[in-house]
Amino acid sequence: MGARAYQGDETTGFQSPAQDHVEAVPDLADLLELRRPQRYAVRVKGDGLKARGIHSGDILVVNTAAEPRTGKVCVAFHLGDVVLAVLTEKDGAWWIEPANQPAQPIADETEVWAMIAALVRTEV
Amino acid sequence: MFGLVDGNNFYVSCERAFDPTLIGKPVIVLSNNDGCAIARSAEAKALGIKMGEVWHLSRRRPEFRGVIAKSSNYALYGDMSRRVFEVLSMNFARVEPYSIDEMFVDLTAFARADYCRRVRAQVRQITKIPTCIGIGPTKTLAKLANKYAKSAADLDGVADFSVDALRRKAFDEMPVDEIWGVGRAAQAKLNGLGVFTVAQFAALPSASVRKLMTVTGQRTHAELNGVSCLPLSLAPSQRKTVSVTRAFGRPVETWVDMREALAAHASRAAEKVRQHGLEACAVQVFFHTNPHDDAPFFNAQRSFEIEPTADSLALIRHVTTAARSMWRPGLKYAKAGVILPDLVLASSAPRDLVPSGDHEKSEKLMTALDSLNARFGRGTVKPGAIRQAPPWAARANNLSPRYTTRLEDLMVVHA
Repeated sequence: MGARAYQGDETTGFQSPAQDHVEAVPDLADLLELRRPQRYAVRVKGDGLKARGIHSGDILVVNTAAEPRTGKVCVAFHLGDVVLAVLTEKDGAWWIEPANQPAQPIADETEVWAMIAALVRTEV
Repeated sequence: MFGLVDGNNFYVSCERAFDPTLIGKPVIVLSNNDGCAIARSAEAKALGIKMGEVWHLSRRRPEFRGVIAKSSNYALYGDMSRRVFEVLSMNFARVEPYSIDEMFVDLTAFARADYCRRVRAQVRQITKIPTCIGIGPTKTLAKLANKYAKSAADLDGVADFSVDALRRKAFDEMPVDEIWGVGRAAQAKLNGLGVFTVAQFAALPSASVRKLMTVTGQRTHAELNGVSCLPLSLAPSQRKTVSVTRAFGRPVETWVDMREALAAHASRAAEKVRQHGLEACAVQVFFHTNPHDDAPFFNAQRSFEIEPTADSLALIRHVTTAARSMWRPGLKYAKAGVILPDLVLASSAPRDLVPSGDHEKSEKLMTALDSLNARFGRGTVKPGAIRQAPPWAARANNLSPRYTTRLEDLMVVHA
């Protein structure tokens, strides 16, 4: 036997009926499209957006190519901080509501960095 | 038609992509061992920080207070370079990664300045990296156009040298040393002949350029005049040598540390060789003391041929045996290196009639080693001769997280 680990196919006694059907476990990097250039993983710290189902310690997969949409959660650079915030459009202007802060119009020192695309929680 | 996409202050831009506190500040990135400035933000350039500035000598100058100096984070820069490449590949049929921050692209008849401006905006949005794009009928012209785009504020980051009027204007304004391939020696010769601008150089007769700057200079001259000599190359040429040399973070004084450092270098060199499907036929080992301090300089170096191999353990064995015989105690060593100067394709490597080891077994072991390191991160499994955090490791006192490649280093978002 070589160094190859047992995959459910090569048995020593009875021939495995699965040998022509063996498949790999699903690849979560594929599912989350982590190889695409616009996809980045970031880590959440703080529970300010628990109401939106986002907990401290969660990994968010974000998309820097996605268009901003009203009511959606984004990652933003805001006054020197990296924050999670809700975006809203009011009368043609964009507003940002960072967790634990009042809504404010997007000004010079704010940049929408990416839109949230998926969430990974390793401990439930 | 060629385009050259170049990341502005690439390493600094990679750092800024994940750290808003760096935006608008003078930021530099230091070379390995936190030695010299190798990338500077516009604010740092404005303060007068030079490329290659030795930072530990200049950092205390009053005008440099407030400068943020980052250690180089090549895991991050490599991944961001990949992302830029991917975005360009979504927009151009062919992309040649020329260096970590410069990519040549193949422009079809329809893709010109406006198209490139849209791509530039997309690269900026997706990777956060600002770029400039130069366009021209040859690589040399595209590269020159790129430089022009960087300096001309009114062009919105894209200069198209296939447009005669713009090219002529730029040729008159740009000094001859801005040309790709014109170094300081050539510049001095040309200036001596009264040639100062790109326009004057392009107008010289080809034969006199050849006399002055050999056939390479003649090629540059032809490319400037629109004759394409350098095609887009999509695969790097086969590597002929691999070298892993490092300055120590602090001087190495014991044989144990030296052996370990050389083993680490040999192991990394072997990895690189395997990556390219090659084997090494010769080894060169060296270590030396600091040539700049007061102590007498000592430099030991040895080269020898070996049975072709890509096996880390075999290379470590060769390197340590040679180094042991070169070792002189009582000195403070500043740098050591392993160079593999003669590489051949593994499939065509000459095999000894009576090989000294089991080639097949070694190949299997190395494949397992490489796949573990590919899967769990570089350095997960290494030969026993190398510790996890050796004392001689390079200094990196202000290293940012590997935001895009390590789960424990992800950018933190506050909620």
